[in-house]
Order: sequence, then structure tokens, then C-alpha cells
Amino acid sequence: MTPHPTATPDLAVTTDGLTKRFGDFTAVDHIDLEVRAGTVVSLLGPNGAGKTTTVRMLATLTAPTSGTATVLGHDVATDGDAVRSLISLTGQFAALEDNLTGRENLVLMARLRGYRRPAALRVADALIDRFDIGEFRDKLVKDVSGGQRRRVDLAASLVTPPKLLVLDEPTTGLDPRSRQVVWATINELVAEGVTLLLTTQYLDEADALADHIVLIDHGQAVASGTPSDLKARIGDLRVDVVTVDAADVGALVTALAPTFDVTVAPTGRMVSIPAPEEAADLARVATAVRASGIAVDEVALRRPTLDDAFLALTGQPATDPDADPTGSTPSLELAS
Amino acid sequence: MTATLAPTHPTDPGSGGTLAEPLPPRPGAFARYVRETALLVGRSLRTIPRVPERLSDVTIQPIIFTLLFLYVFGSAIHIPGMRYQDYLLPGLIGQSLAFGIIGAGVATANDFSTGVVDRFRSLPVNPLSVISAQVIGQILEQVLGLVIVLSIGLALGWRPDLDLGGAAALAGLVLLGLFAFTWFGVLLGMLIGNADAMQGIGFAVVFPLSFLAGTFVPIAGMKAVPRAIGEWDPLAAFVAGVRELCTGVGAHGSWQLEHPIPAMVGWCALIIAVCVPLALRRFRRAD
Repeated sequence: MTPHPTATPDLAVTTDGLTKRFGDFTAVDHIDLEVRAGTVVSLLGPNGAGKTTTVRMLATLTAPTSGTATVLGHDVATDGDAVRSLISLTGQFAALEDNLTGRENLVLMARLRGYRRPAALRVADALIDRFDIGEFRDKLVKDVSGGQRRRVDLAASLVTPPKLLVLDEPTTGLDPRSRQVVWATINELVAEGVTLLLTTQYLDEADALADHIVLIDHGQAVASGTPSDLKARIGDLRVDVVTVDAADVGALVTALAPTFDVTVAPTGRMVSIPAPEEAADLARVATAVRASGIAVDEVALRRPTLDDAFLALTGQPATDPDADPTGSTPSLELAS
Repeated sequence: MTATLAPTHPTDPGSGGTLAEPLPPRPGAFARYVRETALLVGRSLRTIPRVPERLSDVTIQPIIFTLLFLYVFGSAIHIPGMRYQDYLLPGLIGQSLAFGIIGAGVATANDFSTGVVDRFRSLPVNPLSVISAQVIGQILEQVLGLVIVLSIGLALGWRPDLDLGGAAALAGLVLLGLFAFTWFGVLLGMLIGNADAMQGIGFAVVFPLSFLAGTFVPIAGMKAVPRAIGEWDPLAAFVAGVRELCTGVGAHGSWQLEHPIPAMVGWCALIIAVCVPLALRRFRRAD
């Protein structure tokens, strides 16, 4: 394990063998991570992969079982108060007070950060303008829509300029339009130079927002790279072929394998083929399938999912509880 | 709806001016603690009018119990040498305190499960402020409930035989009990961590204990098993102590019933000595 240059000022986050166990369950298993100042890093993985636990340790809400984590030069275990004054987080585990209005929540957060009342009101009102909260600022948070709530949530995490912003699944559960709004807000923050650590279950979200993606599964970092690196390895679009009879999958693979890079999905009736040339590849696969004479339910072109990413990058489906990514922890040195 | 969802694209870079508001210098640790605690108590109080039903435990419930026992069950209960009002009110005060355990637990479990406590903990705020605010907010709610119980009692003919010293002793005993029971409730709420479970467990344990404590009928008249429990129920010492202060009539049975005030102070000291450090540790133990 190479020692991390924790004193380097341009590293916002470094972790070294960061591990969290709850009884027999290892939620986070020796994660080494670096987030360079001014970049956006996304922890991408399915539910239960250990993303939230990792972020909670960085935010000093959970103590690591072993390993170290340093945020902006401060150790989370020994210097928690300094960490808390420099970072800001929002997401599934850091909620708003439901029975206060959006504005009251923002004023409370500003005052807890140390502003006196008049300054706190100015800060809150500026955030209300900036995040377009005006229309529902005096509604109780429990009565606003999910998208509106996330905006108040984001605003609440910006009452003081954080050196590191941590967003835990900022769009999980949002409708597509609210998701776009949250993305737009995040992109603005990034344009202003905020260092952002983002967790998500959505490949497209990591792709759209992050400079660097770390795939997490079963508490381990199983792959990492820039979005274009990873996409090059996953393949952009894919053609899926679903057979009528599961028994035909073998024959289908035999028929297609000489021409295409075929992956068999864990569902048993489906094979999947990268389609860098999109419709042209779809047509070629369809022709080959017809020529094989095997009965199929579906031949379809689709965007890669998180499962495809895990299959392509680790050879294991993300959802398989027995998956055992045995590869040594990949280097997480970030591309700048 | 479209309008609400449209993102703003601030055209002037001065929108970053939001972040330019200078923070005043950080006061000393104690001043910060007082300030943060006051802010967080303010947050709890401010939410009360938004969810008035949450207060029903300390408002409607004691009124119902008072009326129910005074006018329904009380008609069949005869306490030698005492009007039932004078017997009942100390019991109701005790029961309010016991139900306060459930209230504090439910509120704490709720705050912990919704993540709002995590938000506070992620700020540069003293953890002790967060938990102090929880305890103070709960005590204020319980005091409101007690004021209602005492008022309705006085309106319906309760006449405590108290001089100034006796009233001060009563107030002191009640506040000590409130403090101890609230910490117990906050600890339970943190340990259980789920408001519904807390409610269920609270009613399964606290509710029966609050009835066995000589609250509504004398412990001496109960069957052997409930009598044995009641004689050593901490709440029984409290109820007997309040009753002795208000009526001058003591209870008989166990040591704690015959020396209710030292017993109550002892119980409270024990509860505080156990629950406060455990609650603080549980709160600080970050997981």
C-alpha cells in the first residue's frame, strides 16, 4: 500500500484501507480513494454496496472500523469538528426538518453554522433566489414535491461555501424532470469549482456529472476510471437478444460468438452484445439471429445499465450476493 | 408546475455572493453550546403548532384519564379517609411522567430515523447541544401536560394541602422526576430507533407499570403478584411521595413506599447516573 500524500493541499479526500464492519457484515472493505480538489468523483454502485457508509465515514457520522480517511488534510477520526466545518453533505441520510418551511430550514442551518439572525436571513434569501425556491419557500417541507425538497436540501448544504460537497444519491426517487433540475444545479456548482463527491446508483448520472467514477460493490472498489474509460470498456449501447426457450441460449451463443462479443446475462434467456455502431450493429445482430433459426422474443438496442457495467468490468453481476470480485483493489489514482 | 421546476441560471457571477456573507467569529465553546441548544429547542417548539396532534399525548390524554377516573371508575373506588380527587391527582401526575418516557422516546426515535439528527451532527455543532435540545424540548412539553393535569384537577375539586415549602418540594420532586424520566426516554428512543416500535414497547412496559404504581387504587389492595411489582415500581415511590406531600398520608408496604421521597430521589439519581452517560455515549458513538 503506497502512503498517501495527505499533506498535499490539492487532495480533498484520501482514504487508506477504509473499512467499516457492523458485526459480521463488512459494509466497506478496504476502500482506497482519492478526490482531487476541484473535481467531481462519483461512487457508483447498487443499493447496499457500501456507498452511503463510505460517505458517512467521511462526514464523521460513522467511525471507521479500521483504515484512515482524511478530508482536506483533517483526519475524520481525530479532527471531526474541523472536517464538519469544511464539508457539507446532503442526501438520503441528512434530512431536513419536515415540519419547518424551506426558508425556516435554511435560516436554521445558517444559524447553526454560526450566522447571526440578520445575516442568516440574507443567506437564506440569497439561496432561495439562487435555487428558485421562492414559490414554495413558506410551505412546510413535508408538503412540497420530491424535486422541490431536493433543491431545499441542496441549498441547505450550501449555507457556507463548502470546500467539499458530498451528495448521497441526490436524485434517487425523483421523477425525470426533477432529476434534470437537480443535475442542472449540480452542474452549476461544479462550474463554480466546487469539489464534489457524489454517490449514485445510476450509470447515466455518474456519466453526466463525474470526472471520475469509482464502481463499488460489496464494500469494495471494483473498478475506476473516467467516464469515457469506463464506457469504452462497457461499450456504449448494447443489443440484447432474448430467446423464447432458455435451452436455446447455448445454441444462440454458438451461432453469434464467431462474429460478436457475446455476454450471457444472469437471467438465463438473454445474451448481450456491444453495439458501438448502434443501429447498424442492431441490424447485423438481427440478421445473424434470423439466420440461426432460433426463436427469439426480442432483439433490442438499449443503453447499458449498472448491471452491464458490473458484468463488463468485473465479470460479476452487481446484484449477485455471492459475487466475489477477487481482483486486487484497483488503483484509484485519479486522472486529472 | 413547469415554472417551479425550471432551474435558475444566475446570469451574474455575483450569485456566488450568497457565499460571500462573512461568518462572525466563533464564540467560545460554552457560548456556542448555549446558542446551539437554544436554536435547536426553538426548532422543536416551532414545529409544535404544525403538528398539534403530536401534543395530544400531553394534552387530550391526561384530560381523558382525569375525567375517566374521577367520574367513571372513581365512583367505585373508595379510599378511606380521603376524597378520591386528592388520591387521584398525585397518581395522574405520576402517570404523566411515565407517559413522558414514551413521548420522549418516540420523538427521539423519530428524529433519528428521519435523518434530521444526522444533518445536525454533520454540522460543526456540539453533539451535546443536539441531545440537550432534545431533552429540554421534551421537558417543556411535559411541563405543559402537567399544567393541564394540575389545572383540571384544581377545577374539579383537588385541594392539595401544601404550604410554600411543600409546594417547592413538590415542584422540585416533579422536575427531578421529569429530568430523569426524559433522559430514560431519550435513551430508549435512541436504542430502539424506530418510532412505532418505541410506541409499542412503551405501551407494553410503561403502561402497565403506570397502573401498578398505586396510581388509581392502593397497592395494598392488589393481588400478590401485582402488589409485589407495584411495591418496587419506581413510579410507585414517586406517586407515594407526591401523595404524602399533598395529603400528609403515607403509604405502607415496602421500604420505598414508607420512605417515598428518599426512595424517589434515589431512583432518579440512579436513572440519571445510568441513562445520561449511556445516552451521550450512544449519541457520540458514530454508527
